[in-house]
Amino acid sequence: MARYVVGPASELPPSSRRIVRVNGREIGVFNVRGAYYALRNLCPHQSAPLCLGEVTGLAVSDEPGEIEWTREGEILRCPWHGWEFDLLTGCTVFKSQACVKTYDVRVEQATLARDSEGVETYPVRVENELVILEY
Amino acid sequence: MARSRAEEEQCETPVTLIDCDVHPYLKHEDELRQYLREPWRSRTIPSRRQIYLPPGDGRRLDAMPEDGRPAGSDPRLVERQVLQGIGADYVILIPSSSISIIPDPVFAAAVARAWNDWQIDTWLGAYNWHGRFKSSIVIAPQNPERSVEEIERLAGHPHLAQVLVGSSALAAYGKRQYHPIWEAAARHNLPVALHVESPVGPTPPSPLGYPTYFLEFHTLYPTIYMTHLVSLIAEGVFEKFPDFKFVFVEGGSAWLAPIMWRMDKDWRGARAEVPWLKRRPSDYLRDHIRFSTQPVEEPDNPRHLLHIFEMMDAEHILMFASDYPHWDFDDPKRAFPRLTDQLKRRIFCENARELYHLPATRPFDSLDSTQSMAEAQDVGATR
Repeated sequence: MARYVVGPASELPPSSRRIVRVNGREIGVFNVRGAYYALRNLCPHQSAPLCLGEVTGLAVSDEPGEIEWTREGEILRCPWHGWEFDLLTGCTVFKSQACVKTYDVRVEQATLARDSEGVETYPVRVENELVILEY
Repeated sequence: MARSRAEEEQCETPVTLIDCDVHPYLKHEDELRQYLREPWRSRTIPSRRQIYLPPGDGRRLDAMPEDGRPAGSDPRLVERQVLQGIGADYVILIPSSSISIIPDPVFAAAVARAWNDWQIDTWLGAYNWHGRFKSSIVIAPQNPERSVEEIERLAGHPHLAQVLVGSSALAAYGKRQYHPIWEAAARHNLPVALHVESPVGPTPPSPLGYPTYFLEFHTLYPTIYMTHLVSLIAEGVFEKFPDFKFVFVEGGSAWLAPIMWRMDKDWRGARAEVPWLKRRPSDYLRDHIRFSTQPVEEPDNPRHLLHIFEMMDAEHILMFASDYPHWDFDDPKRAFPRLTDQLKRRIFCENARELYHLPATRPFDSLDSTQSMAEAQDVGATR
């Protein structure tokens, strides 16, 4: 499992996203209320840049004509044909075979320890956490 | 070998052909009048207006009774040409009532009720000694309240198998104003059938108004059918009434798969607008919607129709109809390409049998014995 540093967590606050290029692949990293999710920037339908789509909520209904708005911020809507994807799973919210590839994301304390091994060291203050993408 | 009457009474014959669209006609316009109360009885009843000119004035010329009355008005001739002629075990009658053309919803409901009382006395009563005529409850959907009352009044009649509405309507049938009617029909386990009506009605017969020729009018029936179909699904009628069944009669069916593909595709993007749909639009077909075959499409290459049948899952949703006594009658033996036994069984019998809760066998009757004799004589004559 390879590791890619997306950037300081402070630059990726809740409700924001960043699209990074890793090994020639574009991957969108989303902060959903403090949790991070990463999806390939490629809609399984017609290869649109999925991660440029609107982040929205999910309309559900138990009765025709009545709509309840749920899961605000957890749904990604493709910028081309409007397909809705669950940011948490990468799958369409309707039953289909179409799931977009997802990646694990974790947050690490930023440290310079490894980089400074064997040379003269200086005290470093950790100001940030890093968002790390595993691919 | 001839059977005795006692043997006949006990003998059952398998049901193999159900004709889902046969039109019973009044012997004369005044026949309906006796079933109307004043002030309606003295009024002129708006009737089917032919503004387009179909071949044969709309009927099979050999279906004209000898007494000069309208085609479809003589039950003996219907027995001979449909029950015996094409071998239909049961027919589903669809009165050509054209209720939708009556702008006054109160008058329309009164006329609908008169049609029902008339058919209960005649085609489902005096003419129905064999019990092989089933029919449709005529309602005036422009008057939802009275339509519900009419369904409540007649549900449970042993020969009324469905509720009938016209294709021309004030609004597409998925709209909420119609939901009480569908609720009542579903509660009584009665499918609702939509049949084409007079070109003169609350809406023009095509999305672009009145075409010039009959050819256009007739070819374009599916445009109105598509509108109702898409509306019923989009508005969630089948989610709201899980037992509700709807039948499209006389619009053909070859257009169905492409419109469903289109709706499924659009739904994937527009789902959030109609979140009550829990399945793909086309997934509602098999559980809730049936199509009658007539007028069956006749492509140059008959195999193309078989492909289309496969695309639309005809095995589960298509039901044979002849449209007797109309000019574009389909003969079950001649109108179709060669079907597999399974498909034939489903289309000619099983789909309709399940929908209308008809038995797997019916009593052998004297039409069967005279049919055998007539066939034997035919064979003799041709030898």
